[in-house]
Amino acid sequence: MSGAPGQELVRFDRVTLTFPGVNGRPAIEVIRQLDFRIETGEFVAIIGPSGCGKSTLLSLLAGYLPPSSGRVLFRGKPIAGPARERMMVFQQPALFPWLTTAGNVAYGLKLKANRGNGRNVQSTVDALLHLVQLDGFAHHYPSDLSGGMRQRLEIARALAVDPQVLLMDEPLAALDALTRRRMQGEVLHIWEKTRKTILFVTHDIDEAVIMADRVIVMAQRPTSILEIEEVRLPRPRRREDPELAGIVRRLSALLE
Amino acid sequence: MRPLVLRWPSFRLIERAALPRWALRLVGPLTVLLGWELGARFGLINTLLLPPPSAAFADLGVLISGGYLGKALYASLFRVVCGFALAVVVGALLGLAMARIRLVDDFFDPIVELLRPISPLALFPLAILWFGIGDGSKIFVIALAACFPVILNTFAGARSIDANLIRAARSLGASEFEIFKGIVLPASLPHIFTGIRLAWGISLIVIIAAEMVGATVGMGYMVLEAQQTFRTERVFAGIFVIGAIGFVTDLGFRRLRRWLLPWYRETQD
Ligand SMILES: Nc1ncnc2c1ncn2[C@@H]1O[C@H](COP(=O)(O)OP(=O)(O)O)[C@@H](O)[C@H]1O
Ligand SMILES: [Mg+2]
Repeated sequence: MSGAPGQELVRFDRVTLTFPGVNGRPAIEVIRQLDFRIETGEFVAIIGPSGCGKSTLLSLLAGYLPPSSGRVLFRGKPIAGPARERMMVFQQPALFPWLTTAGNVAYGLKLKANRGNGRNVQSTVDALLHLVQLDGFAHHYPSDLSGGMRQRLEIARALAVDPQVLLMDEPLAALDALTRRRMQGEVLHIWEKTRKTILFVTHDIDEAVIMADRVIVMAQRPTSILEIEEVRLPRPRRREDPELAGIVRRLSALLE
Repeated sequence: MRPLVLRWPSFRLIERAALPRWALRLVGPLTVLLGWELGARFGLINTLLLPPPSAAFADLGVLISGGYLGKALYASLFRVVCGFALAVVVGALLGLAMARIRLVDDFFDPIVELLRPISPLALFPLAILWFGIGDGSKIFVIALAACFPVILNTFAGARSIDANLIRAARSLGASEFEIFKGIVLPASLPHIFTGIRLAWGISLIVIIAAEMVGATVGMGYMVLEAQQTFRTERVFAGIFVIGAIGFVTDLGFRRLRRWLLPWYRETQD
């Protein structure tokens, strides 16, 4: 179903996105003639200056926005709208505050569209909470969780409907440095366990190089791709690795 | 979560007096009553205009044992509960619909804004013509006056929902109806609840005023009749009862909210 590793999963085909000018403000061309592809199972990081259109790019993939021209293809078909095969993990966690941790994860499973797929709600929820290390917090509300825990809960909620790709929009940007490093490891751990394709937006070059198979470097608006860097270092990667530091330095120079 | 309270050393001494919170909260009203009682006893105030609270409480006893208070209270509360319930149901549904459906908003918003500034009592004479001097006219004006805070708060709540919550639900596979029931409604509940509390307060105010203008039974009628026969202690007995009802029911609403919305935090961190 989810396609073999190495197969094309996502393709941007000369995609342009312009936000129309409202109330006399000028139209903003955010993305211009963007072309790239992502393969099944890949961990791809996207970096670029803030305001360059990274979130917009993920919104196109999630189906929240249609492109102004060009095509966004998922498994060869144009994206028509949001669907559970493409789940967003928002920058500001968008958890349902009236549901407990377990309730948030179960929400997707209980929807009509996802019922009767043979999966037991309770055991799926338990397994996912275990995966993101929130076992003891099933009955807590999101307001009782720390920033890192909320972010992990978002991931678990997205994984509940068994998506093919996770679209992560600066998921770690709001965390303190220590929590952030731990979460980088945890996201990688989740990726290795679930083998989902991950698109990971960040503005931290270190983070991108440490985590991803490939790093897409974007230019200032209107966005096009400056460079796609393939990171062939074995995991687990160490920050002190001179080869890794070299890549980081090169990409930094590119963005300046 | 506790709200931030300024802590002065001398305040802390009082807090250490080991009185529970609810007992501390009685100190203020009791002080006022005591001062008032003493003022009346020592002839500092004209007891014809401002009778001592003890006289009001004595008369309250008479009203209760004579069954008069029960009858008046029943009549008033019946009208309040009916009008209030109507206001809550209609107000919440209309507020939600206006917030989420453009066409409904365009249709009802001008009507709401035109009716809202009109004093409900200005419509009361008309209501008596339409619904008679009995319960109908009171229920009508209460429902009308109390539905506005419900509509406006519900609308504000349903409009201020984080768009990403709805996007997340849509990505997870929710249908439009599931989004309404599972996201829009619960996300708006704290605001709806605020509207309901305001509506209850307005209902209590409107019923007394309406019963003073045109009624044959009820708390407002009782107070007005007492005033016309110059029984000021009875006027105050009625006022105490009305105040107590408002006080107790608002406590009840807070309890209810804690029970219905355990996830809700008044101050977000
Ligand atoms: N809905 C919108 N309407 C108009 N302009 C928008 C909208 N969303 C984003 N933009 C603009 O598009 C640009 C890219 O935004 P965004 O994708 O959020 O950037 P990034 O995530 O890279 O920081 C910004 O200049 C932003 O102001
Ligand atoms: Mg962004």
